[in-house]
Amino acid sequence: MLASMPTCHREGKEVTFNEHVAPIVLRNCAVCHRPGEAGPFSLLTYADVRKRARQIARVTARRYMPPWLPAPGYGDFVGTRRLSDAEIALLQRWAEGGAPEGGPAHRPVPPSFPPGVWALGPPDLVLEMAEPYSLRAEGPDDFRNFVLPVPVTRTRYVRAIDILPGDKRIVHHANVLVDRTGASRRRDAQEPGPGFSGMDLLIESDRFEPHSHFLFWKPGTPPQVEGPGMAWAIEPGTDLVLNMHLFPSGKPKRVQAAVGLYFTDEAPSEHPMLIQLENDRALDIPPGVDDFVVTDDLPLPLDVDLLGVYPHAHYLGRDLRGFATLPDGQRRWLVWIKDWDLNWQGVFRYRTPLFLPRGTKLSMRYTYDNSAANLRNPHNPPRRVVAGNRSADEMAHLWVQLRPHGGPRSRLLLQEALMRHRLELYPTEYSSHFNLAAALQSLGRQEGAIAHYRQALEIEPGSSTARNALGTVYVEQHRLALARGEFQRVLEQEPDHVQARYNLARVWLARGDLRRAERELSVVLEHEPDDLESLYTLGSVLAREGRLAEAVVPYEHALRLAPEDADTHNTLGQIFAMQGQLRSAERHFASALRMDPGHDEAREGLARIRSRRAANR
Amino acid sequence: MRGSRAQRALVGLTLVGAIACAGRPEIEVEDLDGRVVRPLASATDRAVVLLFTATDCPISDRYAPEVRRLAGEYAPQGVRFFLVYADAASRPEAIRQHVSDFGYDLRALRDPAHTLVRLTGATVTPEAVVFASDKGGTRLAYRGRIDDWYEDFGRARAAPTTHELADSLDAVLAGRRVEVPRTTAIGCFIPGAS
Repeated sequence: MLASMPTCHREGKEVTFNEHVAPIVLRNCAVCHRPGEAGPFSLLTYADVRKRARQIARVTARRYMPPWLPAPGYGDFVGTRRLSDAEIALLQRWAEGGAPEGGPAHRPVPPSFPPGVWALGPPDLVLEMAEPYSLRAEGPDDFRNFVLPVPVTRTRYVRAIDILPGDKRIVHHANVLVDRTGASRRRDAQEPGPGFSGMDLLIESDRFEPHSHFLFWKPGTPPQVEGPGMAWAIEPGTDLVLNMHLFPSGKPKRVQAAVGLYFTDEAPSEHPMLIQLENDRALDIPPGVDDFVVTDDLPLPLDVDLLGVYPHAHYLGRDLRGFATLPDGQRRWLVWIKDWDLNWQGVFRYRTPLFLPRGTKLSMRYTYDNSAANLRNPHNPPRRVVAGNRSADEMAHLWVQLRPHGGPRSRLLLQEALMRHRLELYPTEYSSHFNLAAALQSLGRQEGAIAHYRQALEIEPGSSTARNALGTVYVEQHRLALARGEFQRVLEQEPDHVQARYNLARVWLARGDLRRAERELSVVLEHEPDDLESLYTLGSVLAREGRLAEAVVPYEHALRLAPEDADTHNTLGQIFAMQGQLRSAERHFASALRMDPGHDEAREGLARIRSRRAANR
Repeated sequence: MRGSRAQRALVGLTLVGAIACAGRPEIEVEDLDGRVVRPLASATDRAVVLLFTATDCPISDRYAPEVRRLAGEYAPQGVRFFLVYADAASRPEAIRQHVSDFGYDLRALRDPAHTLVRLTGATVTPEAVVFASDKGGTRLAYRGRIDDWYEDFGRARAAPTTHELADSLDAVLAGRRVEVPRTTAIGCFIPGAS
């Protein structure tokens, strides 16, 4: 309908606010331009809009507003905020015509927005910055990271996350990263004041748990609610790291952001992955060069659905392209941004997932302008620029969220392909060797895993994480002497490494050395008194030693932590039965059966007890 | 906008008048307390800067620290700075709050009737107008941007590379001709200005 308007209105008929302009402005602008939102002024009423008529005409004609980077026709995205040429023409004509209001017949219905600060209603858990951060009045944009511990006592599944950045007018975007390692906490402690600086955050993880969702906020974009089965897990001890792009506004501001989490009881059944095309190594841009091209190509080892993209470069990026080349040579565009502007970066999600068959090549092709003609060039005169985390450095990243077809194994195969691709670019990168080894270990390819853990250790001989993991492969292979050697070496360099100590206890247990196993487990439990695995293992060690009364203690402790565990009840039933405490044994067997009616051992145990008690009568 | 041509002609006349007559224009506006102010009438100022600003313009706001710095630097040399709020819809309380929020230590004027807007030809905020004063009177020496930080809406340099307002003040104070007397300021259009 709108597309036909220019012909209708070319001659004569007056363009009015009520009839023509309000529908455009209220649909496209008001989401941000209203009180409390990111827009610096409201565009809700005729008076609001008339006052800015000339400005609106100018900024829409230049497509500065509404901000939307992807070029039309190169990816079909959710929430596309782009005016048609016809709409822009109407806005021009209205401003030139004196911005009349028009008759009351067409008076627009004011848009309704969800009440309250949280678009999805009150969250199940709100995380707030412990103290506000002071943003200075002027100077370059500030890229700051704030660590938010997540106070959950059991694994929760997150179906949605919302970010309240505080004053939205000073926040260009915010990203949430999941840190299960504590690394960001340690970094935060090293820098004075709340948070730590840095534009891009990389969290090394010692587990194969790819950060699988885009957790991103930009002005005017509603929070993403994950579809069925697409929730993600958050465990006790996890930190969320809020990575914010703040811009000084002329007066000092206090930044106090909050993150809201919405839980579901439904465990994830789909496992999307975030993968990254990148070629930071190739970023070495001489001053004055205005067409420096960086590419990366990744062949897909299996069928995938593409869910979204997040292109990222800093101030020298100009033209950002992502595309896929299908096995038959056809090209499918993922995204094309022809005039990159860091300030309006975003995650772009496809309206319909894009199927890409195995053998497709994913590509990025980014062009950088390090000439003085690039207005945003952070250096004047231009200087050589290489990759880095500061905003005056550069980056060449294309994050892609995809869902591999096939079971959990397909994620591992994709991870393997990714890491092998990275190792072609960065043959001596510790994390890639480590991640590849972890994927191979999960795939059951132990020799490959050992080879890459060893290479990781050649690069970082002091890495307890890699050495402990190497030990676990040896355990899987029943090469217990080798395993013991690795765990002991970890403990020599890091006596508090609880995982290695627990693993060492398992080795002693497997070799029948119950004394040593018990000693190591006691040390583990001094550090982590509520560690369920250690409690179960210690209980079984003591039971095997015949110390039945002592064995009850860790099991009962475990039961207080996880009262619904049928196995623990069954084990306690067995122990009490051996001690002749038939009443307690019966109670635990019955509990085990109540929790798991198919628990055969418990049923047999209960039957035995009842026949013994019948015989005793 | 209809009628803009006539208005522009009027502005031209006023300016020509101000420059040609080189008297001390008895321009009167009000400050936030409703007191009458004649910003161009002082015989002791060597130059007067009218800094057009607004309570709701983000580009203007981002310039506040630079405006404060320039005022601090040039006031001791006999340059008087005024903030001019020309949006007729801005109430004095809102302006007072804005002045305080951004730490301005400058006298703020209201120009709801656009007396100063028409006199100077200012169209956006922030926009600076420099009047030079000497024995002969007062003349408009510079009108335009503070510097070249912004090239367009949403297109800002990491840092400005030219400083037209400071350059024009240096020239006026040194008795030199201002080399670039007019530039185009980037900012929010003053409602009702042409």
